[in-house]
Amino acid sequence: MSAMAKMSEEQALVERFRRGDDSAFDRIVERHSAELAALSNRLLGWPGDVDDVVQDVFVAAFTGLRAFRGQCCLRTWLFTIAINKCRSRRFRRRLRPVRVADMEAVAGLDHGGDKAAIDEEQAARVRRAVQTLPQKYREVVVLRYLQGLETAEICELLGTRVNAVQVRLNRARKRLKEQLGDLLEEKS
Amino acid sequence: MSEEQIRKLLQDADATARGPVFGPIAAGRIRQRIHRRRVVRSAALTGAAAIVVIAAALWITCMRPQKTQPEQQRIVSLEAQVRQLQVQTNATLKLVQEILERDRQERHLASLEAELSSIPEPMMEIERQVDKTAFILVYQADKLYKELNQTESAVAAYKEVIQLFPKSRWADVAKERLSQIEERQINKSDTEGEPTCEPGTV
Repeated sequence: MSAMAKMSEEQALVERFRRGDDSAFDRIVERHSAELAALSNRLLGWPGDVDDVVQDVFVAAFTGLRAFRGQCCLRTWLFTIAINKCRSRRFRRRLRPVRVADMEAVAGLDHGGDKAAIDEEQAARVRRAVQTLPQKYREVVVLRYLQGLETAEICELLGTRVNAVQVRLNRARKRLKEQLGDLLEEKS
Repeated sequence: MSEEQIRKLLQDADATARGPVFGPIAAGRIRQRIHRRRVVRSAALTGAAAIVVIAAALWITCMRPQKTQPEQQRIVSLEAQVRQLQVQTNATLKLVQEILERDRQERHLASLEAELSSIPEPMMEIERQVDKTAFILVYQADKLYKELNQTESAVAAYKEVIQLFPKSRWADVAKERLSQIEERQINKSDTEGEPTCEPGTV
């Protein structure tokens, strides 16, 4: 399905929802929930359980869909909501005292001697490095390298200019290189 | 260390991480959640409104006596002051009336006393009147005797003065005239002389 056909189909779904067809919203949820869950999981530092965030995104979408003007595609609009929800969730989490369980989940404490364990430890280190990036760098890194979005889409999502996104990406890469330089050399 | 290496490293880390866990999301659940949220919001609003109303009612209940009590106390004290002033005014008026009455009585008494003082002593007046009457009788008797030459009437008048006013000096004068008349009658019978009377001696 081409992008244009996809957009027109989404527009039709929004129109149906506006006319009171509840099945249209079911279709929207079905189509975007997995992608929104993956994005939320990455933005929140891979906690795994993102059920609440995804539900919050769809609750906000349900409330605001009648006012959706169609200036961007539905996916972008939902991603924007998801980014905002993740920001507020991270902010609230920052206000909460950090639990030991959360730290262990992030760090991946199991230090086995085998190859799989070493890989897992390295992956956890990479994820920690991404998590410790400032919000504006972390978001562009996730959207660019993990969600695979183009710069133009990222600009639309974050409401910034292209060169601002590129600057953020450069700085984020620089920081990641500083932290993960040995791993990158190893890979190369 | 190219961008691709970083992308590969990140994607590997992402692939080994825990995948997103979320339950089957249905629009029905979303609607239920929105409905629940609306109910909670309206309940919260209702609760807040109820709390505000209760707080306002409590505030009014607590503040009203505090606000009105001093006013009532002030009104009561003012009423007491007014009553006290009325009593004082009544007492003052009564006192003024008494003073005026006393003054009026005193003035009346003074006028009576003045009137009384203007009235001469009754006994003295009587004596004066008696004296005057006696003089008039003697004077008339003298006139009768000297000018009209009515000796009998004059003698009768002198006798009357002596009888009516025995203690007055005119009784003595009348006695003296009578004795003179007797002397003259005696002398007349002897010498045919005329009796004389001197009113200037009266």
